Amino acid sequence: MARPAGIFDIRYEQDIAVVRTMPQWITLGLFLIFLVVLPQLFPDRYFLNIINIIMIMIISVHGLNILTGFAGQISAGHAAFMGVGAYACASFMTFWGLSFWLSLPLAGLTAGLVGILFGLPSLRLKGFYLAMATIAAQFIITAFFLHFKPEIFGGGTGMSLEPIRLGNIVFDTQDNLYYMIMPFAVIMTYFAQNLVRSRMGRAFVAIRDNDLAAEIMGISLFGYKLRAFFIGCFFAGISGCLYIAFMRTIRPDQFSLMDSIWMLGIIIIGGMGSIFGGILGTIFIKLLDEIVLVLTPFLGSVLPRELASRISASMALVVFGLVVVLFLILEPRGLAHQWEILKGRFRHWPFTYGH
Amino acid sequence: MYFLFYFLLSGVYLGALYSMIALGIVIIYKSTKVFNFAQGHLLMVAVLLGATLSQTFGIIIGMVLTVAATALIALLLERLTLRPLIGQPLIAALLMTIALGYLIEGGSLMVWGEGLYRYPELFPTEPFSIGSIAIEQGVVWAFVVVAVGFAVFVLFYQKAVLGKAMRATAEDHQVSQSMGIRVTHIFSISWVIAAVLAFVASIFLGSFSGGHYLNSHLGLKAIPAVLVGGLDSIRGAIVGGFIVGLLESLVTGYMSGELGEVVPFIVLLIVLMIKPYGLFGLVRIERI
Repeated sequence: MARPAGIFDIRYEQDIAVVRTMPQWITLGLFLIFLVVLPQLFPDRYFLNIINIIMIMIISVHGLNILTGFAGQISAGHAAFMGVGAYACASFMTFWGLSFWLSLPLAGLTAGLVGILFGLPSLRLKGFYLAMATIAAQFIITAFFLHFKPEIFGGGTGMSLEPIRLGNIVFDTQDNLYYMIMPFAVIMTYFAQNLVRSRMGRAFVAIRDNDLAAEIMGISLFGYKLRAFFIGCFFAGISGCLYIAFMRTIRPDQFSLMDSIWMLGIIIIGGMGSIFGGILGTIFIKLLDEIVLVLTPFLGSVLPRELASRISASMALVVFGLVVVLFLILEPRGLAHQWEILKGRFRHWPFTYGH
Repeated sequence: MYFLFYFLLSGVYLGALYSMIALGIVIIYKSTKVFNFAQGHLLMVAVLLGATLSQTFGIIIGMVLTVAATALIALLLERLTLRPLIGQPLIAALLMTIALGYLIEGGSLMVWGEGLYRYPELFPTEPFSIGSIAIEQGVVWAFVVVAVGFAVFVLFYQKAVLGKAMRATAEDHQVSQSMGIRVTHIFSISWVIAAVLAFVASIFLGSFSGGHYLNSHLGLKAIPAVLVGGLDSIRGAIVGGFIVGLLESLVTGYMSGELGEVVPFIVLLIVLMIKPYGLFGLVRIERI
């Protein structure tokens, strides 16, 4: 890891620290303060709504990034695992009467276990075959929620929840929800960032780069692939649970194949195998979404009616497709790589060389 | 009994369609190692093009123009978007074809809108009848085309020089390049063949259900067909297509339509658990 000149690690604790230098501590502190006061800075509630969705998505994207970006197991069914978390959370609360705070980790565990179940083929399947097995998981899980026991899962209308409470606080406004979701996003990001540089994270990277070589070096492929599936889907489950606390109602069609593909697109755009990249990618895609939403009525007022309605129907598809295609061709390492280049420029300024 | 026969018949029709889509995917995969998720979208564009072009230019010229336009689209896709990805990890090509699918779907939504387009009637409407059972001519032709197509491709891959070159490319890009095979040409040719297959499938799909932008979702259902048979096997694509088509039709008929959509994927998971490379796929031995 690159460090400014004159910064040396003289103790082991320094070497393994996440935050190494004083400026980094200050930036981190300022950033956390910024996160805490953010609702006060932006009085627009719609904006806060977007931030909340981004935070929930970020947790899920971290899971997919660990599974696909680090461990190399392509999952095209991540939204379905998010759905498992959401449905598990709602079922625990509705039918077992558990509190939300107990359902949250349980929902994460449930999603993780379902992830292990669908990760089982990963020992024998690789690459495309595994990606297809996860697409199969996507269809099977959403069909399960749609058709299995409508009296429990509500079929096409889905499930709904009362607002979440903690003591006297009711999480029903965007502000309150923000303060509930934000700490989870921060904790899960910290957890993900720490995990990928641990023994397990390095094992994941080894498996991604060459699984046979990793196995010969003593990494248990079966164990670590399943662990990757468990952790990735655990993140998805937590995210799904927060999602239902945020939306209060869920339907099976909110966790479609399209959403899974969007998440894969996010980690490509952000940068595979970079936790920071996952955050950048989520923000980028979500903002793009909003731009499309704003642009559509504008086009409707400028263009003739027939053309405008066609364009507004197809805009999201075209924009998303185009962005992914362009990123894959022009910057396959994603926004995180561009960020590194930018940092390098500053570090070496006024010289143009460096990296 | 009558119902069973009817379900089997519609299963054969669906199976023939899936087989044609799966064949296109397999041919591209065999030589380029790219799984073409956009094959269903090519099919959808071919139907829409066929419907509109044959209306303006008449059936024969319209069909010729359609096959040319579809091939051109496939050629451009390969040249502009997939060629730069050679050497990139698997997920890049995977996401690329998915994103291309979205682009094509969005593009045709922009050009054609959400309407249903009437396809010219190419098959005589009078059904074959065996006793009291009537079989639509299109179904019979679909089955015949798949059978002939299978024979042609088996012969092509075994006898023709180009077919042998394509098999060599599938085996190893570098070695075949050093043997004097233009690997990039092979890539283009595979995509053109897949486009022509998409056009052939579009004739049957168009005659039965007309042109609509949601036709592309058939491509999604061809995925289990390809993988059940094995990604690199022509025989597998045909057999897989019919397995999935018959299963879907029978389950839809006797149980429920929603289950019919899922059953192919459940079968896919089971087959992959037992035979990871599909029924006829080539088992590759890996070395470090």
